[in-house]
Amino acid sequence: MDAYTIGVLTNIGLFSFVALSAYLLLVAGELSFGQQAFFGVGAYAGGIFTAMYGWPLPLAALAAMTLGALAQFLVGLPTLRLRGLYFAMSTLAAAEMARILFELLHFQREVKGELTGPDGTQGFRGIRWIFEHGIEPIDYLGMVVGLLAVVLAGFFLVERSRLGATLRGVGQDPELAASLGIDIQRVKLGVAAAAGALAALGGVLYAHHNTYIEPRNFDIMLGVHSLAYALIGGLGTAFGPLLGVVLDIGALEGSRVFHDYRMIVFGGLVALLLVFRPRGLLDERMVRWLRARLP
Amino acid sequence: MVKSALTLIFLLLPALAHAQTPQADLRCIATGTDFVYDCTIRLSRAGKPLEGVQITVGADMPSMPMAHNTRPEQARSGTLPGEYKVRLDLEMLGEWAVKLRLGGPVRDQLILHYEFDSKGASPKRR
Repeated sequence: MDAYTIGVLTNIGLFSFVALSAYLLLVAGELSFGQQAFFGVGAYAGGIFTAMYGWPLPLAALAAMTLGALAQFLVGLPTLRLRGLYFAMSTLAAAEMARILFELLHFQREVKGELTGPDGTQGFRGIRWIFEHGIEPIDYLGMVVGLLAVVLAGFFLVERSRLGATLRGVGQDPELAASLGIDIQRVKLGVAAAAGALAALGGVLYAHHNTYIEPRNFDIMLGVHSLAYALIGGLGTAFGPLLGVVLDIGALEGSRVFHDYRMIVFGGLVALLLVFRPRGLLDERMVRWLRARLP
Repeated sequence: MVKSALTLIFLLLPALAHAQTPQADLRCIATGTDFVYDCTIRLSRAGKPLEGVQITVGADMPSMPMAHNTRPEQARSGTLPGEYKVRLDLEMLGEWAVKLRLGGPVRDQLILHYEFDSKGASPKRR
């Protein structure tokens, strides 16, 4: 496999984590434009733990996921009381606040004679864990795909469980779910924390893949795309967001068919889907149809 | 005496480690075709040219690095020691994070921020 294909596949994998985090909130009935903030929290935290304190990547990833979960839980406490568009706007505001905080974050220490750590708008260089440990790009791709497979397996287990039915119930008819004794706020806070952890995991992997991060990596574009991937791919299954990422990054970016017009095609695709298939290509009806026909 | 020597070693260790980090300088000239640049990379370590390194050059847009990037190109050796040449085909003008992935005798990745305009590229410092 050549370097370019490995790069495109790794990017598909990395985007999938943040797209799945947006999907999780969508299933619970919430539209978030702010998942890039928790992706950023994961990237910065993971980078700080490995590059500045020499933690192993798995431990740094677990710590970053915990911070991501905590961050989205704390953001969710006041914002999940809002409904619909107001919640979406509050997530966007929170994400912009996070990005500005990353711009103000100057926290460096000398590691091996070099100043390492976040340096505001200059970014955070030298996140070299994969180079220091001799991990080749193909091995890193394997790591990303492996973790994505574990996350997907978790999604499928949840979707087939009582918890999955509760989540869809909360997302599709919160009043009915509340009348059945479900604590809506508690469920949504749990979903928010899980989504934060998932986005943070993507962030840690991104920071170590790129070796450099900066606040602009976590701006509104990433949030809009992650939401769009879930909406294009479909809300019927966790494969939906993956399909959305594969369509954009894999088909459009990978093939470069439309080259300069890619964003116009992407925007058009989102608009068409919202008109003709508002719950995406793999919506609940399509998933039921496929399940009835597949062994 | 031993104490002084040990102190000196500990003081020098960080400097030695710093000396091991490769440094790169990039010069790009527009080819005349839209957004295509001929670039020269000068790679060094501790002030000495680094030769025989396999450099794969890519570029990302900082605001959307995973989606807007260029196809990585393998740089070829230039005429001077530590000099490498590569052609960059970007999507648009503006700031790009040029990513140099080093292989062979040195394994590292360097990210250089440059502002690309109709004539060439200049380092971007925010």
